[in-house]
Amino acid sequence: MNSKKTIKSAFESMMFTWGEPLEAKMAADVFNISKQDAYDYFKELQAEYEQEGRGIVIREVNGAFQFVTREENADYIERLCTPVKAKRLSQSALEVLAIVAYKQPVTKGEIEAIRGIKCDRVMEGLMNKNLVEAVGRSEAIGRPILYGTTDTFLKNFGFTSIKDLPEIDDIESAINVDVDAEEEKDPVAEGQMTIEF
Amino acid sequence: MSYKVKIQTFEGPFDLLVYLIENAEMSIYDIRISEITNQYLEYIRHMEEHDVTVATEFMVLAATLIEIKSKMILPRVSETGDAIIEEDPRTALVERILEYKRFKKAADIFAMQEERGQRIFEKPQEDISQYLENPDEYLSLDLKQFAGAFNLFIQKKQKVEAVRKHYTKIERERETMESRIRMILNKVRTKIGEIFSFRELVKNKEDRYDVVVTFMSLLEMAKERVISVNQKSLYGDIEVSAGERVDEDTVLEKYQDKEVQEA
Repeated sequence: MNSKKTIKSAFESMMFTWGEPLEAKMAADVFNISKQDAYDYFKELQAEYEQEGRGIVIREVNGAFQFVTREENADYIERLCTPVKAKRLSQSALEVLAIVAYKQPVTKGEIEAIRGIKCDRVMEGLMNKNLVEAVGRSEAIGRPILYGTTDTFLKNFGFTSIKDLPEIDDIESAINVDVDAEEEKDPVAEGQMTIEF
Repeated sequence: MSYKVKIQTFEGPFDLLVYLIENAEMSIYDIRISEITNQYLEYIRHMEEHDVTVATEFMVLAATLIEIKSKMILPRVSETGDAIIEEDPRTALVERILEYKRFKKAADIFAMQEERGQRIFEKPQEDISQYLENPDEYLSLDLKQFAGAFNLFIQKKQKVEAVRKHYTKIERERETMESRIRMILNKVRTKIGEIFSFRELVKNKEDRYDVVVTFMSLLEMAKERVISVNQKSLYGDIEVSAGERVDEDTVLEKYQDKEVQEA
């Protein structure tokens, strides 16, 4: 039986070697421990790195763990070298991505219904960037393809899992508050408008 | 007061509608349909004036707006005068706008997250096959990864081919001084005593390189006294004729050596 210390130490070495996010399951198999135990050890390691303020931190991506640099150190890295920055997504790409992320699995038709505009090209771009992928087919007529987000999406946008996405349902209440404040609109301006047309 | 719509790009009809509603500081729950419809149509007219092709999607929403507008005008009472309790014709639209706004908000959050994400660096997985006992291990990828790797390979190949298609590397055959000297020498030797013009020794007068090579060759040959050169006036033509050592090949030999060394 390996001590917890040994296992955690080994996990660090494994993450270092692996580079890509290392699945808790794979790490668990190495020690013949349960996936949950492995997951907990990773979380402990993550907390330790965080507490000590190390320049390397552990990132969780969909139940897998990976060493990455600390966000606050980006400026220093950029002074040292010029990392190639991926092009930022366009507004429409972000909107489509958001719909896929929150409504997955989702068909193109559903996305289009929300935005009121076709999204074929945007979806193609997102698929090429490996942010979105086909995850199956809907049972609806024509069996349209269902889409979902990828682990690359989680990584690039700093989410640990789909469940980690920020709540957006409370936006309605936020709007409501705004509305009450702006409700007092002078009807004169409205009148002028009507004359104009 | 004329109403001006700045042409700006909208991500779709809902983007435009939300913009108009927010711009008019209207409550989403109490949209002044007539006002918004007019502004919306005005915008579309504007796009047409500027020869921007109006996407059919914009037209679809325009039709919806007009439909709601007309429903709003209709009296909501029956012929007998009883008020008909009917759903507000705007309800469905409001729901769609809210839904769209939700995702627009999410898109903003995503944009921020993406920016943060770009400040975090990871090491790509290195080639770890040397650590693996079985070097064929990488073939145990699952189907998705394998297809991904294959696609990546194809994409790379296509990219390279696309570039190749458009750009062909052409290297111009540059005349060397040695060959130019030989050419001039042959010319001078065949007609000893005759005067050649510098201009006629330059093959391609448009090409600066050609002019320079010829001129350098002449200088070199004049130095070795293979030819004699004479320029009667400033900027005048240079006259070239055989020099006293025209029959010696020293200049050529020297140049051959030099070029070999340089290479």
